[in-house]
Amino acid sequence: MTAGPTAYSFAWSAVWRGLPYLLQGAAFTVFVSALAMVVAVALGLVLAALTEVRGGVARPLVRAYVEVFRNTPLLIQIFIVYFGLPQLGWRLSPFLSGLSALVIYAAAYNAEIFRAGLEAVPRGQHEAARSIGLSELGAQRFVIVPQAIRIAFPALGNNLVSLVKNSSLVSTIGMVELMFVANDIAFNNFRTFEIYGAAALLYVLLVLALTRALHLAERRMARAR
Amino acid sequence: MERTRRGFAAVVAVGLALLLGGPGPADAQSTLEVVKKRGKLIAGVKTDFPPFGTIDASGRNVGFDVDVAHRFAQALFNDANQVELVAVTSGNRIPFLQSGKIDIIIATVTITDERRQVVEFSEPYFLSGSLLLVPRASTARGLEDMAGKTVAVVQGAIQDKDVAELMPRADRIKFGKVSEAVLAVKGGRADAYVHDDIVILSLAKENPDLKAVGKPFVPRPYGIAVRKGDTAFITWVNAELARMRRDGTYDRLWKTYFADVEANLVKP
Repeated sequence: MTAGPTAYSFAWSAVWRGLPYLLQGAAFTVFVSALAMVVAVALGLVLAALTEVRGGVARPLVRAYVEVFRNTPLLIQIFIVYFGLPQLGWRLSPFLSGLSALVIYAAAYNAEIFRAGLEAVPRGQHEAARSIGLSELGAQRFVIVPQAIRIAFPALGNNLVSLVKNSSLVSTIGMVELMFVANDIAFNNFRTFEIYGAAALLYVLLVLALTRALHLAERRMARAR
Repeated sequence: MERTRRGFAAVVAVGLALLLGGPGPADAQSTLEVVKKRGKLIAGVKTDFPPFGTIDASGRNVGFDVDVAHRFAQALFNDANQVELVAVTSGNRIPFLQSGKIDIIIATVTITDERRQVVEFSEPYFLSGSLLLVPRASTARGLEDMAGKTVAVVQGAIQDKDVAELMPRADRIKFGKVSEAVLAVKGGRADAYVHDDIVILSLAKENPDLKAVGKPFVPRPYGIAVRKGDTAFITWVNAELARMRRDGTYDRLWKTYFADVEANLVKP
């Protein structure tokens, strides 16, 4: 596999010198991921709700959306939005291109996750809610959706963790996030192991913080029950 | 809380083990010996950089650097096909060499002092300045017109630093590959793409909607690179390059690949 002897001596000062730039990249990763998360969760909920509407065109349209965006690589979606759409005369800013690609991809998964949650709520819950005098909307608002979200939460958490890691793909369209910064430093000082190692550690810290927050939210929901 | 803290400690421990427990310093065997024993040369070449390294319609590697790689295989094994070509980019070619994925970089590496610290360079085999690739309708005539404009460069290429130095008021946007930087200009993402004169001239010829502008600036030599300290291998490379100049191979390659843009190039 390897082509010969490898000479490598570690130079940790490279990480130290690159740290301010790496942290700047990490901050942007947090920013774009957080924004994408909020929009993708909201969009996912709306889409899942639409699939519950029987009849009409909403349901097949949402199904088509989910199948298309869940079954294509995120990188292709990013390239289509960033490089492809301008050729059709529709040019989003680089930031909006990256953000919207992340959102439409994550929202497709979220829609599936919430739909599964909605379907996992026993049918009797709906009948019981209606029989105690709640309107259809009230039954959904106070009985079905809260339970669905609680059921969907672990899967949702996994998808949000993926979103943070997937955000590294927008480095390919010149967005200065953590992966981009790591490339930028390593391609110039050639301390690949140190720099990518440091970037990996920063990703671990970001994801640990996210899973911790999700864990707290889950506990609060459990208490509210 | 306790579980999270222990989990965190474990992550840090694994991270440290990975970082500190890596391979030690290498032994002193020259890659030349390794290559001869293996019976095959593994060379990093470009695949998006006309006319030095591209992929033709049938999926074969072609270009000046590719021919040099085959010539090296011919000299080593008396068989021009005993070479494995690995696609590299401006950003990853030196890491590929350092990590042992390739034996040698024959991929338009501009010789700079920073790179001399980490690789061993051959004698120069080409001289390249930098030019701009712009849309055909653009009125820009050179880097001096790029103040306040968006300039695409390839990450890890020398122009990233050159543009930052010579035109700090330009907004640089960086891509991983030549093809992506070209797309950025075509899609109006960037006002210009700055790279080595030879690739810009070739791209302008292939893309009628784009044109090359500017006077080649900061000409620098290309070198072939092997791992730092491998003097035996680089001595062999230099001897072979000298033979290629003597026996007319170099002139033949020059005519094949550069004849039509020769007038715009800086002669070595």
